[in-house]
Amino acid sequence: MSVLQPTTAPDVAHHAQRQRIVDAMIESCAEKTYAATTITDIVARARISRTTFYKQFEDKRACFDAAIDYCLEELQRIAAAAHSPSDPAADAARKGATAVVEALAERPGLAQLLTGDAIAVDPMAIERYRKATLPALNALWSEDREVDTHTDPRLAFGQAQVLILNQIAAGEIEGLPELLPEIVYLAVSPYAGHEEALAQSRLVKNAKIGSATGSDR
Amino acid sequence: MIDNSEDLRQWRLPRGRHGLPRELVERSQRERLLAAVVRVTVAKGYESATVGDILGEAGVGRESFYELFDDKLDCTLAAHKILVDDLEEQVRAAYATPRPWPARVREALAATLDWFSADPDAARFTLVELSTVGPAFRPIFQAEYARFTRLLEDGIGDGDPNPALKGASGLAVGAMLAKIYEEIVLGRTTELPSLLPNLTYDLLVPFVGEEVAQEEQQRATHSSG
Repeated sequence: MSVLQPTTAPDVAHHAQRQRIVDAMIESCAEKTYAATTITDIVARARISRTTFYKQFEDKRACFDAAIDYCLEELQRIAAAAHSPSDPAADAARKGATAVVEALAERPGLAQLLTGDAIAVDPMAIERYRKATLPALNALWSEDREVDTHTDPRLAFGQAQVLILNQIAAGEIEGLPELLPEIVYLAVSPYAGHEEALAQSRLVKNAKIGSATGSDR
Repeated sequence: MIDNSEDLRQWRLPRGRHGLPRELVERSQRERLLAAVVRVTVAKGYESATVGDILGEAGVGRESFYELFDDKLDCTLAAHKILVDDLEEQVRAAYATPRPWPARVREALAATLDWFSADPDAARFTLVELSTVGPAFRPIFQAEYARFTRLLEDGIGDGDPNPALKGASGLAVGAMLAKIYEEIVLGRTTELPSLLPNLTYDLLVPFVGEEVAQEEQQRATHSSG
């Protein structure tokens, strides 16, 4: 290895730049929607040149797709980190769903990009979310579950998405955790059934009351 | 609701009084423009569709268009409102039948699926294209989601089951939206009515539990088969 090489490897710098552009895209979409966002907006926010932008992305849409992928990866990471392998499946589903909803409430740009813009830009975006989410949920449960007796996981996913979109449409992203009883119900009911889903949903409510009185673990 | 249906009848069956030809002409022009904006938007997408496209499709002049509507968005939202009002009227009528509550939910669901499958262009325009109109989308989505959630909730009488899950009505409307949206995007709009048994089950479970929902699912299977 030559001593003349720069201390920061080119691909690290390249990666950081790409991330700055993706962050700029997320911020701009949150502020003025994807349709109104221009390349000029993105390069100004990311403090890069137009040339640099086009070295990283073919066009605005390619950059947007990268932003969606980044958001999905973030949420997957957050969901995975929220539970441990020793958790029973229903508890793991509750913890993962809770962590994701709380992350969306804290990062409105991410929530808006995923529920508002992505769907307007590409109606098939929902299919991408499902592919990113459902296998992880499925994997929590053993394979011998009686699929036929419970609700459809694909539908539950769509329901959760509509609930979140509605909350965002109301301009109340910070209130997303209020939806947790319903979203936890949706995350559990396709796999463990109505009664277990209700029980998990009540655990969320109790946790909220518990944290309000300071007795939460 | 009575007001809405009144508007709709006027739109569909213009009955201008004799001696008011101008009013008559405007009504039929408006009607043609509203039908045209649906077709053009579905064919080209909201962003690509122009007022010129709508005029061409409707056979109406530019001046007349701007007498009736502010712009493309105004015309689009007017058509959207008429369609959603019509949908609500159909669902409300089906839901009001004097039967046990789970059966009424099934009837309302069947009416919804029938409405969307009957006219794939109107279905796509109402549910999918709306999300592309820009900032106007969010308040409309929110208002309509609340409207149908309220419709479902208002129909739960004193003798009917208390939902086991508090937000069950919102989940039910969300299920309809999500499923119908998905089927439209996948090009399966005309097959929507075949989803009735499974959707009946999925919608009812959060209210009444799995057993009662399953009974109603079976009735839906028999009634559609």
